[in-house]
Amino acid sequence: MNLMQIITQNSDLVFKAVGAMMRGESPVDFMKNLAKTHPKFQGYNFDDLEGTANSVCANNNVDIEKMKSEIADFAKSHIK
Amino acid sequence: MNESSMGGWLFVLIIIVVLLGAGGGGLFGGNNAALAGYATATDVTNAINSAFAQQNSQNILLSSANNNYETARLIDNQSMAMMNQNNSNLLAAINGFNATNQAIANGFNSVNQNIANLGYKMDECCCSIKTMMLENRLQDTQIALQNQQNIAVNQNQTEYLLSVMGSWAPKAAAAYAAK
Repeated sequence: MNLMQIITQNSDLVFKAVGAMMRGESPVDFMKNLAKTHPKFQGYNFDDLEGTANSVCANNNVDIEKMKSEIADFAKSHIK
Repeated sequence: MNESSMGGWLFVLIIIVVLLGAGGGGLFGGNNAALAGYATATDVTNAINSAFAQQNSQNILLSSANNNYETARLIDNQSMAMMNQNNSNLLAAINGFNATNQAIANGFNSVNQNIANLGYKMDECCCSIKTMMLENRLQDTQIALQNQQNIAVNQNQTEYLLSVMGSWAPKAAAAYAAK
């Protein structure tokens, strides 16, 4: 499963995040609110987004730098 | 929106993508493809294969059930045919025994009748023999009587003749001597 497939299959959640970002909301609050309704995001410390992102990627054998690059490329080609 | 908040949203996207896409395994070509409950092509293929396998199993079970039913039906029919045949054979045997018994009874009846006839004929034969013996004895007695009568008659005649001849002879001798 690649990034495109994940985003496509979870487009509602991704669009919510993009919408909140465009409205200037806090990413920490967004993740805390998301954890209230989505069990997959519960139990994480979202006050430290970078640390959580690193630990999540490490726990899932994901190269976070590669992930950043993938997301950046995706944003460039899909978000105008 | 400042630079730090943009970086925060990048981490948000990273967290979202990783947690949704990597529910326990690698991402972007990792070996553990069954990620976060989303079906991969392999999952779909396996599911289709499983569905086909289940359908085949169902068909096999259905076919087996049909075969079992057909086998049971044939056995039942065969059993009924054998029972009918056995009943027919039994009836034929009983009829045969009855006919044999009747023939034996008829034979005994004929034998008894022949024995009765034989007794009757033996009685008749015995009576005839007795009658014949009595008749023979009577005839013998009659013959003996006749013989005795003949003897008596002859004796009487002989004596008479001798007496006549005796009285004649001395006279004749005297007549011859006187000549």
